[in-house]
Amino acid sequence: MSDDLDDIQAIFFEECAEGLATAEAGLSAMADGDVSAGTIAGVFRAVHSIKGGAGAFGHAALTAFSHRFENVLDEVRAGRIEPTPGVTRVMLTAFDVLADHVAAAQGTSPLPNDAAVAAALDQVLADRGVAEAAPVAPAPVAPASEPVAVEPDPFGFEPVTAIVEPFDPFGFEPVTVTLDLLDDAGPVVADEPLPWTVTFVPSDAALANGGEPMLIVRELEMLGGTITGVDLSRLPSLRDLEPEHAYLGWTISVPGTVDESAIGECFDFVAPESIVDIVRDVAGDAAPAMPSPAPAAVEIAPVVAMTVPTLIATPLAAPAPAAAAATTPVAAPASVSATAPVAAPVIAMPVAAPAARPARPDEAEAQRTHEVAAQTIRVDLTKLDMLLNLVGELVIRGSILADRLSPKDQERVELPQLSRLTREIQDTVMSLRAQPIKQAFSRVPRMLRDLSAETGKQVILETTGETTEVDKGVIEKIGDPLTHMIRNAVDHGIESAEKRLAAGKPVQGTIKLSAEQKGARIFVRVADDGGGIDRARVRAKAVEKGIVAADAVLTDEEIDQLICAPGFSTAETISNISGRGVGMDVVRSNVEALGGRVEIASVPGKGTTFTMVLPLTLAILEGMIVRLAGQRFVLPLANVIETVQPEPGQVRPTTTTGEVIELRGNYLPVRRLTRTFGFADNDAQTPEESLVIIVESETAGHVGLMVDTIDDRREVVIKSLDQNLHPIRGLGGATILGDGSIALILDIEALVGPSAPLTRYPQKGLAA
Amino acid sequence: MSSTQASDERKIVTFSLGEQIFGIDMASLIEIREWDEPTPLPGVPSYIKGVTNLRGTVVPVVGLAERLGWTPSRIHARSCILVVNVDGKQAGFLVDEVADIVLIKDSEIRPAPDVEVGEPSVIAGLVKTTSRTIEAAQGSADGIMVLLLDLDALALTRQLDLAA
Repeated sequence: MSDDLDDIQAIFFEECAEGLATAEAGLSAMADGDVSAGTIAGVFRAVHSIKGGAGAFGHAALTAFSHRFENVLDEVRAGRIEPTPGVTRVMLTAFDVLADHVAAAQGTSPLPNDAAVAAALDQVLADRGVAEAAPVAPAPVAPASEPVAVEPDPFGFEPVTAIVEPFDPFGFEPVTVTLDLLDDAGPVVADEPLPWTVTFVPSDAALANGGEPMLIVRELEMLGGTITGVDLSRLPSLRDLEPEHAYLGWTISVPGTVDESAIGECFDFVAPESIVDIVRDVAGDAAPAMPSPAPAAVEIAPVVAMTVPTLIATPLAAPAPAAAAATTPVAAPASVSATAPVAAPVIAMPVAAPAARPARPDEAEAQRTHEVAAQTIRVDLTKLDMLLNLVGELVIRGSILADRLSPKDQERVELPQLSRLTREIQDTVMSLRAQPIKQAFSRVPRMLRDLSAETGKQVILETTGETTEVDKGVIEKIGDPLTHMIRNAVDHGIESAEKRLAAGKPVQGTIKLSAEQKGARIFVRVADDGGGIDRARVRAKAVEKGIVAADAVLTDEEIDQLICAPGFSTAETISNISGRGVGMDVVRSNVEALGGRVEIASVPGKGTTFTMVLPLTLAILEGMIVRLAGQRFVLPLANVIETVQPEPGQVRPTTTTGEVIELRGNYLPVRRLTRTFGFADNDAQTPEESLVIIVESETAGHVGLMVDTIDDRREVVIKSLDQNLHPIRGLGGATILGDGSIALILDIEALVGPSAPLTRYPQKGLAA
Repeated sequence: MSSTQASDERKIVTFSLGEQIFGIDMASLIEIREWDEPTPLPGVPSYIKGVTNLRGTVVPVVGLAERLGWTPSRIHARSCILVVNVDGKQAGFLVDEVADIVLIKDSEIRPAPDVEVGEPSVIAGLVKTTSRTIEAAQGSADGIMVLLLDLDALALTRQLDLAA
């Protein structure tokens, strides 16, 4: 049981992570000036979901804080708080604290001190209070001041006794009414607002639809509500009881100080067809259902009955029902006139069944789209891998089968269809694992805000290539290295404002975060425009720490790499950010564990670029199948410039081992990969018997590779070698060809780049 | 270890490597497959014969004899690959011939003396079995000696070597 609960909790935290990412993206967009309703509603929904889940799991601090945050967001959403830069800033800070709260609930960090932010949020709300005095949208409410003089009117007026009857699904914008009425009620409504009576009768199907009513009731309790009555009338005899049906209804009294919209939000995710009435109690009278003929004061006490505004959180919802109400003004007019004298004290906002009907298809549609957007399932990655492997096998068996058929049978339509279907399955499975690297990048803006606050350095972030799709496993593992790289860039890269001014640079530093795919590798770069690596200082520090000998002869690149040495840190004081001597060391070990490498390029005075070169595990690669000493290899097409069939004398030796090819007047180096790999020597082979493929590499420019032949050109599935072995320099992985045999994928950068020993990775495991 | 066995019993699969009979725990065994020339890898020690395709997964094939410091196995008709899983990593071991699957008792395992296999620590112990095939082959009536291979140690020792 507790395991189940833990599982559900785990899902909740995953959802929190997603919610936080959504909220952050939205808030960032707001900070950049996008204050569209959709953006704000997105942030609101994210925070609201976190609150809901937190309440269900009893994370009190998280619930309380997210509730506060949500209040402000709701006001912004409703247009009562202007999302000024100041407000957005407060919300960004609140977001950071919210993230800390989530982490605290997860037990991964201590409970944050949210007092300052909570106060700031309250202040934002308080400021709204002033603005609120001016009616925001009085138009639909105008008739409300004379409730008795009701003609058939866009809104149906109903006796208050009708409130508890089931209404059809209907959503509307109730808030403006309430506020205005309250304002009008001025002297009558006492300092202490009258409590709300909330009637909630979940639909039969609430449980089946996942709209657990208990969660909603608890949420209301969280707002200070008390259950004053339970409607058992629908409860059947025990024998007829369907465990999946919801039979109960509740009457809940919520303190009048609670904003009505806050109550409404509790029902944001309520199942369709449920009944929700929110009624402001008539002065002193706990039973609004039986109002006595009214004194003037009571006349304007607002009663708002609404039915299941499931979509209240979506901006779509409000206009649809409103329009419906306007075009169908017949809502129960008879009862209005008949009961008007009695019902005078009460204004029942929403409309009776007939009016609501026309809105339903729209609403249902809106809801469906809403659900489609949210329909995801969580799958264990290993299951996806297994599926992918099996599909790969299917492809291979399919082609073996095809080979065994006679040519006539091969041409039959079934076989091509089968292979097309198989390929589609393969593509689909593959796409399941690929995720935009945005997910890893999304935590950077917040980090920069924190770092800016801590260091006083102003930093602008420029991000490119966020949509680069990377295997999910890689995305999950680059989070930590990325964090360290960004910290390092702010702490050590970007200079202080004075230094920057003195160097003639803008005060604000710039960090460029980018991702791109090149062949079988993903390049994630963090480039700062700071002072560059102070090599003399790095060297001195390394000598002091005993990492290198005092008389070691080091190239600039070797000195730069010292930054990644374990226990190296040049920070003068141990700051909160870096300086604990683990940062870049962690980056290197994490990246190497992924089968990647870290490259450092630094120009004194101009800045430093750290590049994580990562494998694209499980990605597809377009490649050329070439033969080297008879063995098949995959050459990533992205690297290929052209293919040359050398004429006699076109390839000439330069040194004992070096060769060049003359190409349109230029000389390019030529490598024999068989020699690089130490395979059976084919030095005897003359260049004329071979093909030279000109490849482009980032570090070495254009280089010719000598291969025996080109077999084919096709898309291959990259399989990592380090899953069971270890990364091998020069190889980007392996793939399984149509006949079930394995071809190794060449990593051109590593092969033609600055020479390095072929195996320099730590070797582990059985086959190490 | 399978739950159907008594707690002090275990199944081992025995195989021959040169003159010796080895055994590994059945629990680690994924499958036994025929020898199929693996795809050679560049820049790896010679005992790594290459990689092969195990249902879509790339699995290294290790010449166990060389890995233990002996002369490489000669490939013949009964050569096969034992695919094992240790610590979530899979590897195939080239062995000369798979002999049998036998049930042994933990109490029958004797600690390994310093046998000459290059890396003594990879032998978890010695056990006598009455394996039909091997018995027939060696004409021994009272069972033959099986060297139990410690796969964890086999993986670990190599790391230590590299650290040194």
